[in-house]
Amino acid sequence: MVVERFPDFFQWIGPGSLLFLAILVAAILLGLFVGYVVAVFRHGPFEAFYVVAQVIGDAIPDFLGMSLRRLVAIARLTAKEALRRRVLLVTFAIFAAMLLFGGWFLNSSSEHPDRIYVNFVMWGTQMLVLLMGMLVSAFSLPEDIKNKTIYTVVTKPVRSSEVVLGRIMGLGAVCTALLALMAVISFFFVWRGLSHEHQLVGDTQTLSSFVEVDQGSRKSRFSGRRVSENAVMEAQTTQDSGHSHRLELVEDIRDADSPPLVASNVVDSEKLPNGRVKYRRVVCHPIGGHTHPVTVDGEGKDARIQLGSSVGYFRARVPVYADSLRFRDRAGDMKDRGTNVGNEWGYRGYIDGGSSGIQSSLARGLFRFSGLRESLFRRTEVIPLDMSLSVFRTYKANVEKRVMAGLEFESVPDNPEVDNRFVSDMITFETNEYTLQTLPIPRKLVGKLLAPDGSIVGQGEYDLFDDYAKNGNLLLSLSCRDPGQFLGVARADVYFRAGDTLYWLNFFKGYLGIWCQLMIIIAMGVAFSTFLNTPVTMLGIVVMAILGFYSGFVRELTLPDTDGGGPIESFVRVITQQNMQVSLETGVLTTAMEQIDKLLVWLLAGLTYLAPDFSQLDFSDFLTYGYSIDPQRLIVAMVITAAFVVGLTILGYFALKTREIAK
Amino acid sequence: MSTENSSASSAVEDSPKSEQVTRLEQTNPDYDPNVVVETQNLTKIYRDFWGRQKVRALNALDLEVRKGEIFGLLGPNGSGKSTTIKLLLGLLFPTSGRALVFGKNATEVTKNERIGYLPEESYLYKFLTAEETLDFYGRLFDMPAAVRKERVESLIEQVGLTWAKRRQLKEYSKGMTRRIGLAQALINDPELILLDEPTSGLDPLGTREMKDMILKLRDQGKTIIMCSHLLADVQDVCDRIAVLYQGDLKELGRVDSLLQVSDETQIRAKNLPESAAEEIRAVIAKHGGEVLSVENPRTTLEELFLDIVRESQARPGHRSSGVESN
Repeated sequence: MVVERFPDFFQWIGPGSLLFLAILVAAILLGLFVGYVVAVFRHGPFEAFYVVAQVIGDAIPDFLGMSLRRLVAIARLTAKEALRRRVLLVTFAIFAAMLLFGGWFLNSSSEHPDRIYVNFVMWGTQMLVLLMGMLVSAFSLPEDIKNKTIYTVVTKPVRSSEVVLGRIMGLGAVCTALLALMAVISFFFVWRGLSHEHQLVGDTQTLSSFVEVDQGSRKSRFSGRRVSENAVMEAQTTQDSGHSHRLELVEDIRDADSPPLVASNVVDSEKLPNGRVKYRRVVCHPIGGHTHPVTVDGEGKDARIQLGSSVGYFRARVPVYADSLRFRDRAGDMKDRGTNVGNEWGYRGYIDGGSSGIQSSLARGLFRFSGLRESLFRRTEVIPLDMSLSVFRTYKANVEKRVMAGLEFESVPDNPEVDNRFVSDMITFETNEYTLQTLPIPRKLVGKLLAPDGSIVGQGEYDLFDDYAKNGNLLLSLSCRDPGQFLGVARADVYFRAGDTLYWLNFFKGYLGIWCQLMIIIAMGVAFSTFLNTPVTMLGIVVMAILGFYSGFVRELTLPDTDGGGPIESFVRVITQQNMQVSLETGVLTTAMEQIDKLLVWLLAGLTYLAPDFSQLDFSDFLTYGYSIDPQRLIVAMVITAAFVVGLTILGYFALKTREIAK
Repeated sequence: MSTENSSASSAVEDSPKSEQVTRLEQTNPDYDPNVVVETQNLTKIYRDFWGRQKVRALNALDLEVRKGEIFGLLGPNGSGKSTTIKLLLGLLFPTSGRALVFGKNATEVTKNERIGYLPEESYLYKFLTAEETLDFYGRLFDMPAAVRKERVESLIEQVGLTWAKRRQLKEYSKGMTRRIGLAQALINDPELILLDEPTSGLDPLGTREMKDMILKLRDQGKTIIMCSHLLADVQDVCDRIAVLYQGDLKELGRVDSLLQVSDETQIRAKNLPESAAEEIRAVIAKHGGEVLSVENPRTTLEELFLDIVRESQARPGHRSSGVESN
């Protein structure tokens, strides 16, 4: 999952409000201009001035005179009206059908069934709900005007702003209720679809179904993969939900006074002559991010082995990301970007593993953390470090052999010329390509204390929080230990996992994102329908939504010096079959075309600022990949939504105020 | 435009009424508290999308409706009656000229506090019950819950719908819908009531009830503007009328003086023998008068129908003989 750099709320709100104000001022100026032009046609240039002035003069008392009772009355009526329309019922029926039959087509035997399930329900809900929001809002006001029921409303002391905002509130309320219902059902759908159990393959559910591990090759008799170092026996589970797990009987030797790692899966224990204890435990190997807890009932060979329901699918990891990632090249020089390995996705930078001639490459990926505190972490004895590393191989050799990587931790002293710094010994590990791997980092790390001149002051075990990251800053340096190979990383690929938040809470946070999108769509529908008819309103919403979903792409199109020019030039190039890079013949026509293009591109760029950036309101990736949604993001999404609702209410107010309700 | 008026009126929005009137008089020398509605050169031209003139619905209308009178707008279909009412309510904007209600511009929303409006057809939300309907409109006037409840109950009783107050309006007959329409127009105890075709679609009994209600409201000191193309209705209840035809004001004045035919004399007598009638003819001829007709006076059809209904209600099953004898 790509996590962009995301500033916190307080960093965002300043420039965000400025942008909002700028858009507001631009919209007001544009509105004044359009209003004046329309008034000139109706009343002539001189009187138009008074008409516009009066509309603006009325606006402030109208907004100040808004009453909560009227707003609620209109909202309630709108909600009742919307409930009577079949749209909500139909939406819910489609949603129900989607879940009933969609389950058949979801491949639960895939590597990550949780991603497929979550993606399916979120995408389905989002599309359905947004479509529903568009339909109910685009029909609401025009129907009221068509049926003339609005006559009896606007002839009461009801402000136009109340009509618009009341409608947004009413439609928002019913749609929110439906969305909440869909979220709850989705949650149970995902939960039910993913939870499953397995049985042991064999005559009995005991150790007698296990077979000895081939001590020569140490490869599994079932999967052909290497077994764990301390495994002595193995077994297989039944095929359920499209997969089966491998069970291993492992031997742990521990001090007499320390308990086994997990107590529930111990089959038997044996006291060794040296006073330590050997525990034999049954463990289940995870597949696709989930495993099953093993409980052993009884002791010894006849002990009954039971596998519980799946765990690990429903995760909401709280990551602690590095602030920055920089690189050192093979010679040890600092670089902003990693080594370029050719035609690869530019998102990741690569760390050179050196060549066989120079064994110890100085290339590193340097992750700099700040604000690292013990209080951030739920468990502090062992801190999980999650990594998704990609590997670029310059030679194949033994493909099954994984590329080795190394990790070192360094403190970042406030004053490097005076203060000593801690540098840990290198921790080497095998990389898991393509998949997320978790490396448990012990809190006490063996390392050295170095003076500013590089001389060793001390040596021993130092504490990660109290020594290495005493001032909250920590440097994590990642290196590739296999010569000739490269490790690819991006800033978000390596993070400390502070803990997990409640999955269901995260699930609903994800749906809050959909809610924000829904509210903006409804506000747009109501505001547009004050001056457009229903089909045009829907078209307007679709255009804005497309701009909103693809705002990044559209904004890229509006950048100056795009190959092939603006819309008209591109069209001319297409029909005259001219290459994008070839410059057009200079002349009046070309100049005119370029100027019109400039205007169109300018308008398009303007539109992208008016359209809501839905990517900031879309949290489905967080749920799909199992990350906790940062509350800061939620606050930002809420503020964006509120800004749109306010802006669109103002637009709707002026449009409704200046139009004739009767025909 | 009326910038003077609007600024003055918005400033006094929250003051008590008497104070408001005084202040309006001070700030607007033209304002007369006895004039409830005033139109000056009020013109409405409907245009198509391209701004081309389609219909001139109202042409330079000058009117003045005074406090406490029932003012009738009369005219055939398409004469500009409804347009005038919609202009007074701010549902339409004038093409030129202006419409003032309580001295304020008709487009101003605060004037609606003192207005009640019954549209041509009762455009109400059919899925609400009578109680919910009135409660909703009460909320729109920002009435507190207790006041609203009391007002809703008394109005439902007043229009005689207590028995059907929990039924959805879609189950209502035309007459019942009209009554609840009137009730919603009265929810705020308005000073000015605008009625667009108040008797349309009502049976004679309903028409009579509506007219009685209108007269009762006038007696309570309210000003009423109604428009209708039914002459009998207007004749019965209006103090003054304006006759519109194709957007132009054709006639304006008091109903009694308008309907009085000053050069004709009607003589009504009972049990007069035919010979006496001949004598009277002779007397008229002697004085140089021209006899237009001598006949037994007729009651209006409406009155006759009402008599029959009343008769039938008093003595069910009995067939009135009055019909045949006339």
